[in-house]
This record gives sequence, C-alpha cells and structure tokens, in this order.
Amino acid sequence: MALQLKDKEAHQRLNYLYQAAHCVLAQNPENVELARFYCFTQKTIARRLVLRQDPSVKRTLCKRCCTLLVPGVTGTTRQKRKQRKTGFTVVRCLSCGQTKSFQNNPDHCLWVERPEAQLEQQEQQGGCSTALSCL
Amino acid sequence: MEEKLVQAPIPRGLQKVLGVEPQRSSRAAAFTEAFLASSLQQPDNQDLKNLLTHKAVILGYTRPKKQRTKRSSKKAKGLTAQQKKALKVFQIRPEHQRYQLFLPLHDLWRQYVRDLCGGLRPSCPQFVQQKLLKADLHGAIITVVRSKCPSYVGLSGILLQEFKHVFKIITAEDRLKVIPKRNSVFSVEIDGFVSHIFGSRFEQRASERSAKKFKVHGSIDL
Repeated sequence: MALQLKDKEAHQRLNYLYQAAHCVLAQNPENVELARFYCFTQKTIARRLVLRQDPSVKRTLCKRCCTLLVPGVTGTTRQKRKQRKTGFTVVRCLSCGQTKSFQNNPDHCLWVERPEAQLEQQEQQGGCSTALSCL
Repeated sequence: MEEKLVQAPIPRGLQKVLGVEPQRSSRAAAFTEAFLASSLQQPDNQDLKNLLTHKAVILGYTRPKKQRTKRSSKKAKGLTAQQKKALKVFQIRPEHQRYQLFLPLHDLWRQYVRDLCGGLRPSCPQFVQQKLLKADLHGAIITVVRSKCPSYVGLSGILLQEFKHVFKIITAEDRLKVIPKRNSVFSVEIDGFVSHIFGSRFEQRASERSAKKFKVHGSIDL
C-alpha cells in the first residue's frame, strides 16, 4: 500500500506540528504567533495533500486565523441559550474574534464514529505512540 | 536742475493766478498722504494680515480613505492580507524568551524523527535522507556548515520558523537569526546521524516541501 505509506508520513508530520504548537503554548502562553504559524503550516499541508483531519483536531483550530484555541488562554468559552433548542457552547478566538458554536447535544454522532466509517478504517498506524488523528 | 525747479516754491505772482496756497514741506507731506489715502482704493494692511492668519490655505487635497466593509457576500472564513501581515509575524518575543524554553520542543522533534525513521538508521542512510526530505524541521538544531557568506558559517540554533527563502533560528545566546537558504549548507544531526542539506535546493515553503517531489540533480556547488 504505497499510498498508505506517504499518508502515514504526512500524518505524522501533521501530528507533530499540532503537538509542537501545544508545546510552545505551554512554555509561553503569550507567544501565540508561533503556535499560529505551526497550525497554519499544518492546515496548508493538509490542504495540499488533501488529507482529512479529525473533527476533534479541527475544533481546536480557529478557522479564520488558525490560532490554536485553548480555552482560557487563547479563546473564551461561553454558554448561550436558545429558546427552543438546547444550549450552545460558543468558543471565541481572542485574536480575531471569530466564534465557533457547538450544540450541546449529547447524542451528536460524528461520521467517524459511525459503524459505516469503522468498516472503511484501515488498521491504525503503529509506532506513533502519540497519534491523535486517524482516518 | 529740473528737480530744483519742481521743488522751488511757487512765485507770488503765480499764486494769485492759480489760486494755490504755498505750503511748507511738512504740511505738504501730510496733505499728500491724506490725498492718496482718500483717492486710492486700498484695503487696509491690517485686514490683509487677518485674512492670511485666519484663512485656511489648502495646500493639497486628500480624502480620508474609507475602509471598505465587505458585504455579507464574503463569509467570515476569509482572511485579508492585512490581517495576515498584522498577526502572523513573529514579534519581539524572543527577546523575552530564552533558549531553554525551546528545549522541550527540540526533545519533541527528536522523538518525532526517531519514530519517523523507526530504527532504519544504521542500514541505509539514503532511506533516512528521503524521509528527512518530507519531514518537518521545526524544532531541529541546525548548523550552518558552508556558506558563501562567511559570517553565516558556524551559526547554530533551534529552527523556529521556516519560510520560503529563509530559516529563522534562535541561538543559544537568545538571539533571533534569519538565515537565507540560498548558497548555504545546513547540517541536521539526529542520534549521531548527520545529514547535510543544501539550502539552495530547499527553497520551498515548509508545507510545499512535503507535497512536492525532489529531482536528483548533478553535483551541487555552493
């Protein structure tokens, strides 16, 4: 599976960039630009090689300015209420003001978690002890 | 001669004929000034000065630029170029940040490259080289081995950002250095395996490098 191998390298790279961004933010919470640079590189690589990223990873990135959103550090999290439907969690990026809203639906099922997607899933990549994203 | 004639007083005989009164020089001067002031239509000097001080003189004409607000047709996902410039640039933080703060990043990079190679190191270095081509170099310790510009040789530090033509590294003395890729040879060291990178061949953005393949060139000169 030659295609799988190339993807594996690229995925490892995406993975590494994501962790590097976290690491940099952990060391210095004020230095948002470097984390943003790494996340931007990550997004560009994924866009170039047309790789899908896990929603849990995409949720923590701001769509507009590619900042790594950490509630409390780079973004604020608030709860909003709509009358008929359930409440919303609104995450706001501090650098660009872009908001992301998620419905508080406990039964929300992502495509990845559905059984149909499980069948298509290849075996998980080994050797990467810190893998977060998987197809 | 003619001037004296003009300035000479009028003889008395002529005075009675003309009906003119002879006047002395001072009175004549006063009379002349009054005559001029009444006859000539001149605005006062005072008014002129006022005009110049209180009037706004337009030297140039520039309109304040209105910021074009993009209508709702453009969704919020878009990034403007000005926004990109304002935010993404690395600011003067490294002056505050010390080299030690980036050592965990370097540790993470070492783990990453170890995982990437997966123990193939001793067997064939070419395989590792190929992997390194596609690997990410952020957080690696880079040293300049050879360069056309002698002041670059010997610089080493942790790679913070990789742009299209430059590397940005932070040296052990907490200084942010910008090194152009062209005409330089960099060396990356991992677990005793040293790899030399010709910067002139690496002139791509970090993200483009993993997407593009590399051609095999002939002998590379600095």
